[in-house]
Amino acid sequence: MQTQTDNSLMKLVQAGDSAQLALLFERHHVGLFRYLLHLTSDRMLSEDLVQEVFLRVLKYTRSYDPSLSFRVWLYGMARNAYFDSLRKRRREVSTNGEMGEIASSEPMPEEISSSKQDAMFLREALMQLPEEKREVLVLSRFHELRYEEIARILKCEIGTVKVRVYRALKELREKFCELRGETLYDA
Amino acid sequence: MTPEETSLLIPQYLSGQMTPAEKDAFEAELGTNAGLRLEVDELRSVWEGLGALSQEAPSPALRARFYQKLHDIQTGRHVVERQYAWWKPGLQGLVPQTILALAVFVLGTYVGRTNLDGRGSSTEEVKRLSTEVQGLRQTVALSLLDQQSATSRLEGISWSSRVERPEPGLVSALLTMVDHDPNTNVRLSALDALEKFAGDPTVRKALVDSLPRQDSPLVQIALIDALVRIRDRGAAGELRKLTGDAEANSSVRQRAQWGLERLSL
Repeated sequence: MQTQTDNSLMKLVQAGDSAQLALLFERHHVGLFRYLLHLTSDRMLSEDLVQEVFLRVLKYTRSYDPSLSFRVWLYGMARNAYFDSLRKRRREVSTNGEMGEIASSEPMPEEISSSKQDAMFLREALMQLPEEKREVLVLSRFHELRYEEIARILKCEIGTVKVRVYRALKELREKFCELRGETLYDA
Repeated sequence: MTPEETSLLIPQYLSGQMTPAEKDAFEAELGTNAGLRLEVDELRSVWEGLGALSQEAPSPALRARFYQKLHDIQTGRHVVERQYAWWKPGLQGLVPQTILALAVFVLGTYVGRTNLDGRGSSTEEVKRLSTEVQGLRQTVALSLLDQQSATSRLEGISWSSRVERPEPGLVSALLTMVDHDPNTNVRLSALDALEKFAGDPTVRKALVDSLPRQDSPLVQIALIDALVRIRDRGAAGELRKLTGDAEANSSVRQRAQWGLERLSL
């Protein structure tokens, strides 16, 4: 039996076979959750957004263009869902007058090995990056998307992605070194 | 190409996104440009560090909630109806409703007693209450797992994922679901919930034994992934059998091969 591609499954969903969405969910929900977690730093919100994205897939099934990559379309939709939730949260914050803290899920034990500490610093440095830089780095490094795909998700030029990934990596290194207490001579 | 333009290519070089010709040209430049070499080395350490970061996984409840929602859509149940389903009269909802009422009663009694006595919350009472709540969760989960509707069973699985120390009955019910539930989505969600209890050797063995019994490629792949995540080397035999099974789904065979390789690391 041949494995069906995402695009062929999505065509079936478009034709009304919503059960095929389960297969697409199985293939992509973990990756999507990680992408959203890097954007939100909030596990619960990320899980809610993953569910929301797959429901949007069903809702906006007609807007899917089968000649384009399903993954690009899906991540683009996830991005929109994230910005929608951000706008909603900002409205709530301005109404309530208080800002909800984005909690770090990373534990802060007193005694940890240096490799674990480096991993912690790197994660922290990544979270300190401005959102647009963090996002390109996450898409490029963790999801192994090509620059063309990232450009389509972010709706920008490939050249912009190229510059942004490079600058993000440079800034990540600077922040990482700062957290480790190192001095950069080439910054 | 200016030095800045060459530097912009570093992430592409590190991520292997260059064409062979671009790579050759970049490496030729690296051979003569010490500054570029230094920058590549510095950025490589961060790039590789990112790759080594452990990635978080969503909770089992996500899968259960998604399939529940999908099931609602497929069966034409509206969101508004779902919000009130818990309170809807009828035999199906009666057991969980009673248990919920009991939970509220226990909490109310506890809060009332501590306020009247003026004792505050003693550690023993908090422990006792926590145990009672855990027990209630298990009972709710078990009663829902036994329901005819797949949606209720998914709700039961969602409840079971909130239990910290499950009784053998709950684990056994989840294992039975992985093996025999007629609904693939329920089997997948039960598997997710069981992963939390994979410290128990009985659970691990049952999951390995379940592999040859599965007929859905989706469940087989999810099982392989789970066995790799829990690093169960005892699964190697079943995985090997799957890789050589000509009748197995090609994706399953590939996943089994991948699983074998991961377990041998």
